[in-house]
Amino acid sequence: MLKGFFNILIKELKELVRDPKILLGMIIVPLIIFPVLGGIMSYSVQTAQEQAQKATVLVIDNDGGKWSQEFVNLLNSTAKVYVEKNVTSLTDEVVQQLLSHYNTTQIIEIPKGFSENVTQHLNVNSTITATLKFYGVFTGSGIFEGIGASLIDNLVHQFNRIQAPDIVLTEKSSIIKGEIKQGVDPASLSGLMMSQSIALPITIMILLQVAMQIAATSVAMEKEEKTLETLLTLPMDRFAILMGKLSGSIIVAAVGALAFMIGYNYMLFSFTMQIPAEISVDLASLGLVPSLFGYLLLGISLFVTLISALALAVIISAFAEDVRGAQSLVGYIYPVIFIPALALMYLDISSLPFALQMVFYAIPYSHPIIASKAVIMGDYWTAIFGIVYVAVFTIVLMYAASRLFATEKILTAKLKFKGLRRRRKKTEEEF
Amino acid sequence: MSLAVEAVNVVKVFGDIHALNKLSFKVKPSEIFGLIGPNGAGKTTALRIVSTLLLPTSGTVRVFGLDVVEEAAEVRKIITYLPEEAGAYRHLSGWEYLEFMAKFNAKDESELRRMVEEAAEITGLGERLKDKTKGYSKGMKRRLLVARALMTRPKLAVLDEPTSGLDVLHAFHVREIIKRYVKEHGVTVLLSSHNMLEVEHLCDRVALLNKGKIVAEGNPKELKEKFDSANLEEVFAKVVGLA
Repeated sequence: MLKGFFNILIKELKELVRDPKILLGMIIVPLIIFPVLGGIMSYSVQTAQEQAQKATVLVIDNDGGKWSQEFVNLLNSTAKVYVEKNVTSLTDEVVQQLLSHYNTTQIIEIPKGFSENVTQHLNVNSTITATLKFYGVFTGSGIFEGIGASLIDNLVHQFNRIQAPDIVLTEKSSIIKGEIKQGVDPASLSGLMMSQSIALPITIMILLQVAMQIAATSVAMEKEEKTLETLLTLPMDRFAILMGKLSGSIIVAAVGALAFMIGYNYMLFSFTMQIPAEISVDLASLGLVPSLFGYLLLGISLFVTLISALALAVIISAFAEDVRGAQSLVGYIYPVIFIPALALMYLDISSLPFALQMVFYAIPYSHPIIASKAVIMGDYWTAIFGIVYVAVFTIVLMYAASRLFATEKILTAKLKFKGLRRRRKKTEEEF
Repeated sequence: MSLAVEAVNVVKVFGDIHALNKLSFKVKPSEIFGLIGPNGAGKTTALRIVSTLLLPTSGTVRVFGLDVVEEAAEVRKIITYLPEEAGAYRHLSGWEYLEFMAKFNAKDESELRRMVEEAAEITGLGERLKDKTKGYSKGMKRRLLVARALMTRPKLAVLDEPTSGLDVLHAFHVREIIKRYVKEHGVTVLLSSHNMLEVEHLCDRVALLNKGKIVAEGNPKELKEKFDSANLEEVFAKVVGLA
């Protein structure tokens, strides 16, 4: 064995474990983040299941025969069912009125001739099939949106198992922003949107993390290299120092984000190239990409959030004595970036309990992700609310940061952990 | 003509530690004034207050008649401050660093050129100025920073341990430069040092600091005579009761 190895190892472990920043950042924070995320996910799955069980379905029975009644009875055993008869023309307007009237998001249409086809299949010709039409409202809310659409699959499967294999087939369509999109399966669409909506939260998460590290390092480096004191005695506005540092960090972070987006898009492109054309869905033709105004709002939302993150990083790093300390301190902010980003990738914020919704809305870093989903669905007010909220938060932070730079606090501020006595001794030595 | 620096009953408290305890001193224009004392005496705190970095807990400090608290922005226009153990930006070359600093004071391009070229001469670094400062030795970095502090020909240069980290030869060079700037450009210098022998040869007047208080003040020669000592170290030892 290497001579002195254990001595060095024990010394290293003592130093690392006794550093409260490492203890908190490396051990305590992960112990908190993942259980919190797990709890949110678990609650959401549970909520989605409960909603699916409580789901109301509107059945438009244009058949009125024996087998359509059988199917409605079967449906009644799993969901709350409303029945309308003889609605022959399912236009966008009619569908909207029905959805609104029955306060539901799912319609099953039993076309005329359904019972006759089932009877024919059973008695005469097993190649004849009966068809049901399913219409699901797409809200772009999250990973569990497909649960409603799978309900019909289960019922048809159950019906076929009792009567005969492949006797009933399903045609599924989505209702997007009030328009019926024939042949677009809500479950497939939800899955596709999921894969698309993962990209942005990841980008935002990385962008914020990188930008905060750059800003924090920039201030801490000035302290560590003892250049900050010189800078603060120069004939210049101290706010200019702050703005210069923030702007530099934004530019570097933006270039980094651009590089990331290009790389990530290339990866997604390579991936989607392998998907067969017949099952791919063109989101643009379905109106499921942001409009120009939507992109603008998204950009503004991301920008103000970035500024607020940078201002926060600058404030936090002012309490560190060196780069390592600043990076550790900024690390404490990561949970409030990661948790909303990871959670909102999969979940619809409106499906969460009110208190948790308020927590997510209160975290400024949630808003670009919330906005990214909202602008796709044409909900611009949610994005605008987020921008205003984050802008106000940013102004408060910028004011705090400018005050910090304007006073001696930028040099003397230190975060108080344990070992105050040690630091006091050090401060005495500095005089 | 107003005094270059006038500190009156300056107190600075950090938590429950009194770094400065009713410190008062005056610096005349175009003189080299040294605050000397052991580590922890309060020299750096005093210089930081004069340089507008720290606020006095009580008392007043004026630089050429300007209050360092109320008129800090104006004070910054006429001073330069060289912190102890200060660094330069690692990824800038020596030349770029000097240009960056000169831009804050230079009124036009020709003044900027003059400042940087003058600083380049002071450093004596020659071609090495084109290299990034991260490759500089401690002594090279210090010469660069001293040059930066003098190139703008400030009314007051506040230098915290200006020869810290320099070898005998370079320390001598820096002292000569400081003397030259005072003589040729009328710069006032307020410096700190714990090297009492060094300041004896450099300063017109000195104040001996101990535990945040001035324990003796005057011309080095007069002080030696007054306390019947061979050098300022002996003076200090006698004043604080060590000898």
